[in-house]
Amino acid sequence: MRPARVALLALAISTPGFALAEEAAKPDPTYLPELLAAAGNRSLSEDRSWLRLGHWRKRLLGGWESEADGPGLFLSPQGKRDPAAELEATLNGFFAEGDGAPVGPKLGDPSLEHPQCRFPARFAWLAATLRIDLARLPPRSCPRFEAFWRRVSARSATLVFSSYYLNNPASAFGHIFLRLGKEELASGGERLDLIDQAVDFAAVTNTSNAILYAFEGLFGFFRGEFSARPYFYKVREYADYESRDLWEYELSLDERQLAMLVGHLWELGQTWFDYYYVTENCSYHVLGALEAADSNLELLSHLGPATLPADSVKALFANPGLVRAVRFRASARTQLAARTAGLSGTDLDAVQRLAEGRDSAALDATSTPERVRVIDAALDLVDVRHGRDIVTGADPAADVLRQRLLEKRSAIGVPSPPLVIPPPSAGGPERGHGSMRFGLGAMTSREDGSALLVEGRLALHDLADPPAGFSPRTQIEFFKLRLSVADRRRALRLEEASLVEVTSLNPIERFERRISWKLRVGATRVVDDGCHGCVAGMLAVGGGPGIVSAGGAFSAALTADAELLAAPELSGLSGSGVRPGVGPGVLLRLLGTDRVALVGTGSWRWLPLASPRTSYELSVEARVHLGAISLAARWRKAPRAEDVGLVLLIYRG
Amino acid sequence: MRRAQWVVIAFILSAGIARADENPAAHGKSTYGLAGCGLGSMIFGDQKGWIQVLAATTNGTFGTQTFGISSGTSNCVESSGTQGARTFIEGNREALAKDAARGSGETIVTLSAVAGCKDAKAVGAVLQKRFAQLFPGEKTAVDQVSENVIKELRSNSSLACGKIG
Repeated sequence: MRPARVALLALAISTPGFALAEEAAKPDPTYLPELLAAAGNRSLSEDRSWLRLGHWRKRLLGGWESEADGPGLFLSPQGKRDPAAELEATLNGFFAEGDGAPVGPKLGDPSLEHPQCRFPARFAWLAATLRIDLARLPPRSCPRFEAFWRRVSARSATLVFSSYYLNNPASAFGHIFLRLGKEELASGGERLDLIDQAVDFAAVTNTSNAILYAFEGLFGFFRGEFSARPYFYKVREYADYESRDLWEYELSLDERQLAMLVGHLWELGQTWFDYYYVTENCSYHVLGALEAADSNLELLSHLGPATLPADSVKALFANPGLVRAVRFRASARTQLAARTAGLSGTDLDAVQRLAEGRDSAALDATSTPERVRVIDAALDLVDVRHGRDIVTGADPAADVLRQRLLEKRSAIGVPSPPLVIPPPSAGGPERGHGSMRFGLGAMTSREDGSALLVEGRLALHDLADPPAGFSPRTQIEFFKLRLSVADRRRALRLEEASLVEVTSLNPIERFERRISWKLRVGATRVVDDGCHGCVAGMLAVGGGPGIVSAGGAFSAALTADAELLAAPELSGLSGSGVRPGVGPGVLLRLLGTDRVALVGTGSWRWLPLASPRTSYELSVEARVHLGAISLAARWRKAPRAEDVGLVLLIYRG
Repeated sequence: MRRAQWVVIAFILSAGIARADENPAAHGKSTYGLAGCGLGSMIFGDQKGWIQVLAATTNGTFGTQTFGISSGTSNCVESSGTQGARTFIEGNREALAKDAARGSGETIVTLSAVAGCKDAKAVGAVLQKRFAQLFPGEKTAVDQVSENVIKELRSNSSLACGKIG
């Protein structure tokens, strides 16, 4: 009897002191009909634990369908749509002759393994629920599963949220994965999380064409698969080379639930799910796996139509007591900020010189602890600037620079004191407002009189939304719509629609001079003399220097903008319906605690070969946040619009 | 107008492809990180240009086969014994080099535990002292670095690293 089986079975079977049969024992064929009858009597195929183990969901027109798209999760050919047939096939399969382990080349094909070995979580659950007599249905030995079990050695499970970090627009919505903790401690008492296993659900991609990639990701053309690797690969990839802070939520699962989780992840490893970037994504299936491990959890029901990683963190907190510890792992940039925080101006000069490959005469004259602090900071700066290029070999010069600095540091021969970084005061994603937003309000304009305003947004955050749990530097919005009904016209009118709208405010700082930028794709109602209030498709980009005060209370950016509007009625470039425009843009934002936000924007456009030749727009929005709702007051001025509006905004998960 | 659209689309498409060609690691022109369990091959190896950005955005990954739950046959998942130490050193090469130069840090504590060494502080001091020999820079193959470090831990009997034979 190997440890994995002992553990899984012992935990699953509540009857104490049951006897385990010998390895070579044969199953008793007369037992199968008894079990099938018992399962039928108790309608086990409709039991929510069983349905969760097979990831079956109710279909719109009745019946069931599993979200699993690969054949590996089913023993019955009808398994995907028939939980009862799958239950029968599973019990049947458990009685199969032979050992659990095919040898030789067959080892690579999991579908040839004994069903008990392919479905350890099902086996454990059925054994417990039907009180299976293991003398009559002897468990098989499953070397491959047992190897996985040992590799994982799970004593805790932690959901890890890889942050949508301010500085990295690539990590737009964040990522979710599991860390199965061994809970081993070093001799000095330090945690050894790095050697835990991280289990991940991700799209397996096969195209290097960016456009195809985005398309296939959105519409479910990629397969999503579960994989497991040492956690340090994740820490290096996300925290070091993508500079994303990691938030860790340790779950209070008991031993039995942990065993079910590991067993079920093994089952999931044999199949794939079509990957939908917005819905059936990493968050969705990681939560689905947790629900299968513990049928009392309610996680997926807390998710909205778009499944965002931040929402899955909130879903954890919707189950009281589920999160038993929260930890924060600082990204490379956060570490750099902590290392430079206490340094003097001269020290910072030295850091900069060292990180650029120059020597610092002033440094050699200073005390040992000071030199250590400066070189340590310079090393972090080199990694923030060149880390990834060094690893991929794209920048050999940076590697030489880093190596020289490392040797200089090692020559000092004194250990660096540990760097302790508290979690950021804005908090983790669980503190963030709901990602969906609805708004209802009224406005009055010189042109149209009073009007009713209705608006909605699928996700995620704009610069005036409540700042807790979000980066103060990033706006990222998907699918935003704003409509109005004016008293005089009595017709619904589109004011604004955005497919995507992003603003990334990056302060020009001593060590990182990155520009702030913005992007918007969507449609807007034209508010100058280009047409009579027509709606035009819009593509707008802009970039320029910005400042963000520490904590984000004050920020500003000055950008050079370019935009393209297109509508049939628009008198654009040489009379066509396409109107390019260029000009400056300005953005100012003030945050007063977590309660009040004020955002002002202004833009001026030169419209070459179009009529009119110029345009402008000014706007100010003030928002007061009151829990799950906010009140917004807006003012706008453009050549053919001047309006004031008041809107009640409601945030939902 | 229509022609202009196609030019723009063609430009965007070709930009994506051109960027792809810039990553030498993706085309085997570079020796960096392509052996062993280093990040170069395990994480960044065949991701290209714009795709890296998109992969990060959409949480995509290239070829998870090495890390497949039921198909994973890679050595790079081990976490104990000599192979565990080797995997750890290779997967954390750059971070470990930095901690070694600093004489302390999480990767040193973890490596000490994986290798069964008695005292992480002593390991940190040895790695720092012997830094230049053990970590000669990225042009050295990653498996050479792990070999160096393991040999050092083994040969220094005062460290008593009991799990790497």
